[in-house]
Amino acid sequence: MTTILGVPSAVLYGQLLLGLINGAFYAMLSLGLAVIFGMMNIVNFAHGAQYMMGAMGAWFLLNYLGIGYWWALILAPLAVGAIGIVIEMLLLRRLYKLDHLYGMLLTFGLALMVQGMFSDWFGSSGQPYSIPQALMGGSHLGFMFLPNYRAWVIAASVVICLGTWYVVERTKLGAYLRAATENPMLVQAFGIRVPRMITLTYGAGVALAALAGVLAAPIYQVSPLMGADLLIVVFAVVVIGGMGSIMGSILTGFLVGIIEGLTKAFYPEASTTVVFVVMAVVLLIRPAGLFGSKPEAAQGQPQSSLSAPAPSARTQSLIFLTVAACLAAAPIIVYPGFMMKAMIFALFACAFNLVAGYGRLVSFGHAMFLGSAGYVCGHVAKIWGLPPELAILAGTATAAVLGFVSGWLAIRRSGIYFAMVTLAFAQMVYFVALQAPFTGGEDGLQAIPRGMLFGLIDLSRPANLYTFVLAIFLGGFFLIMRLVGSPFGRVLKAISDHDARAQSLGFDTSRYKLVAFTLSAALAGLAGSTKAIVSQIASLTDVHWSMSGEVLLMTFLGGVGTLYGPLVGAFIVVAMQNYLAAFGQWVTVIHGLIFVVCVLAFRRGIVGELIEFWHRRRRAPAATQAVLRKVAVATKE
Amino acid sequence: MPETLTVGNLEAWYGESKVLHGMDFSVRAGEVVTLLGRNGAGKTTTLKAIMGLLDKRSGSIALNGREIIGAAPYDIARKGIAFCPEERGIFASLSVRENLLLPPKVAAGGMRVAQILELFPNLKERLDSQGTKLSGGEQQMLALGRILHTGARILLLDEPTEGLAPVIIRQIGRTITELKTLGFTILLVEQNVGFAAGLADRHYIVELGRIVEEIPGAAFEGRLGSLKNYLGL
Ligand SMILES: Nc1ncnc2c1ncn2[C@@H]1O[C@H](COP(=O)(O)OP(=O)(O)OP(=O)(O)O)[C@@H](O)[C@H]1O
Ligand SMILES: [Mg+2]
Repeated sequence: MTTILGVPSAVLYGQLLLGLINGAFYAMLSLGLAVIFGMMNIVNFAHGAQYMMGAMGAWFLLNYLGIGYWWALILAPLAVGAIGIVIEMLLLRRLYKLDHLYGMLLTFGLALMVQGMFSDWFGSSGQPYSIPQALMGGSHLGFMFLPNYRAWVIAASVVICLGTWYVVERTKLGAYLRAATENPMLVQAFGIRVPRMITLTYGAGVALAALAGVLAAPIYQVSPLMGADLLIVVFAVVVIGGMGSIMGSILTGFLVGIIEGLTKAFYPEASTTVVFVVMAVVLLIRPAGLFGSKPEAAQGQPQSSLSAPAPSARTQSLIFLTVAACLAAAPIIVYPGFMMKAMIFALFACAFNLVAGYGRLVSFGHAMFLGSAGYVCGHVAKIWGLPPELAILAGTATAAVLGFVSGWLAIRRSGIYFAMVTLAFAQMVYFVALQAPFTGGEDGLQAIPRGMLFGLIDLSRPANLYTFVLAIFLGGFFLIMRLVGSPFGRVLKAISDHDARAQSLGFDTSRYKLVAFTLSAALAGLAGSTKAIVSQIASLTDVHWSMSGEVLLMTFLGGVGTLYGPLVGAFIVVAMQNYLAAFGQWVTVIHGLIFVVCVLAFRRGIVGELIEFWHRRRRAPAATQAVLRKVAVATKE
Repeated sequence: MPETLTVGNLEAWYGESKVLHGMDFSVRAGEVVTLLGRNGAGKTTTLKAIMGLLDKRSGSIALNGREIIGAAPYDIARKGIAFCPEERGIFASLSVRENLLLPPKVAAGGMRVAQILELFPNLKERLDSQGTKLSGGEQQMLALGRILHTGARILLLDEPTEGLAPVIIRQIGRTITELKTLGFTILLVEQNVGFAAGLADRHYIVELGRIVEEIPGAAFEGRLGSLKNYLGL
């Protein structure tokens, strides 16, 4: 048997082929993302779900209607594309004038809804889809065996990619698309129906994802979550390549697939994380991406920010003390387990809000801080047998370091790219947690001892534990409150509103961002460590991307950029989890629905809307009087 | 002679701020008419309002007697009006040829591409370069050229001479004269009074979003004094 650099050549070629196949899917998906982003400025977070719908569509067609692969290749993309068109006309259309992040949040919500519904109907386990008759078998190439279906997928994807490239770069229709990407108003003034073009482009991009899904069905297992994890890798691909160029997306997709394949051959342990490492390297040396030339789109206007002034210091302390008293008294009527869980998540959400709300750096990866801190805290308490205060300190410190490193890389980008980068790093941490020996893999760390706090206070006694959690929450919250009101907080806010201006005033904006991000990570880690001590478990759930989504949900529902919004949001979401647990997957659907409704109807969140309402009412009499005075003057003239 | 474009009591807003406060003017078939005025007077806004590029506007814009203010932006061009914007709007991701051919035909009788290239010979050798790699003057020619093949008979030109060398300004002047002899109706926004004087049949002075004066082309020289006052020259 021949070997190449110590690896049997058959294995190497096999892994290369696998890499090429994966690369084909990365290319097709990142291509669609790039086309959609170019036209609509929306990062289509539903892309993975739509890919899944393509594969699922093929499966349903076969198993319920007896319609085979070749027809599915046409019908499934058409159907999913049609759904995409409806989504664009009903929902996305309302977002074009808003910050790009809202598009990302809305499509994230849609993805959750679709994935939740399919999981409910279908179960989350994978189903096989057999290779069509005509493509069974394979051929010996002398150096390796090439299954026909895999050869077909590679050929088909190359044709699809080049076809898309040709249409966009070389045809009249493509010229319209490119022109509308640059200046939709002017293109409209030439008599081209840009809104309809946008609708059709989204439909086509979505259909492309579904087509990739059908191609994937016989290779990967068909399951409701098959698109979610894939999409995160595709986001990393997009960051590596930059979304500016079609050919760039295609090449980067295949390149990343091949790198993955090679890694699997030579160093399999790193094969799931290598993409993210490549992303980090690219961020270091070429932050705009390999093919990215377009400078970062300027951040949109600060939308729906609060016009209300901050309350006075006295009012603020008063509110804080009231909340503290309520939380302290709550166990009399509310189940303490619920209260502790809610307070921990509230701290997590407040920490998230520090960067997302005040720094406008919306991270999609905050679960990495919660989860990794939980693991470290659990490990220190259980395996090293250290007291809880040291375990929590260790967990918090780990999250801070992780936050510093990932933040140092991520703040090179802003807006949607920042979101994608943090999501990708969190996924890397997830894979590490899945594979590393000390995390317990799928089982997680169990039976973490609560121990004696400072050697004196027995945390296994419920009242002590409750007081302990309360103190941590209030401490963390107080810190954030003071921070937001401090000069540091005000500079952070100024930077988020207008980075360039703050920079020209001499502020080292990236240092402020980095400090805020690290602090936020540390506080999220404090929440995660406390969670490990309280629940006595550290598990993969806490590092999973869905946890990052949950903290986003809490914060946006409650009111991003408000002090108490995340607290309210966390209590609502945790209550939903407790009381709606019987509905299974529908909880995910409801989460998704809340995202959609929040983005469309109340972007300030519950607390934000309340503050706004309150202030409008107090201002209203004065404003009415002014109008009346004007009218009186006008009639006199 | 029938009026071609009649604007009546046109008001327009950017968000909450009102910029046009009742513009009244008309352009008759085959005329060259200018809108003159200081920076920020509302000239560009008027053209944009006619093209339907603003969120909010009211009043009347009639094309050959037919009201078009309610039409969707993509429909206005199809009624035979073409727009050449102030910042020229050459697309960077399109070649010169693609830029030239981008606006779709809206009526029969547009110029042939060969004819346009005869009008602007500079573009001929540059057809395959990237649109924004052209010089400022060439970009202006491209921006003018691309609206000539659509068949639109009314041209709205926003400061075609801005930032260009005198030679090129003269070339563009000749082109506009030629377009006039070809029967195009032209609404021209200008800051360059000398340039406008030689071309236009009539002039309107715009100030603070209103027409404050109409000056026939023949009377232009005599009114230069009051004009300078208006334009702050
Ligand atoms: N996009 C916009 N948003 C808000 N206000 C605007 C916008 N564009 C123009 N304005 C304002 O509208 C007014 C009229 O602007 P307009 O561009 O029509 O002026 P103009 O007469 O074309 O000036 P110039 O000769 O400098 O081109 C100005 O006060 C300007 O500040
Ligand atoms: Mg102007």
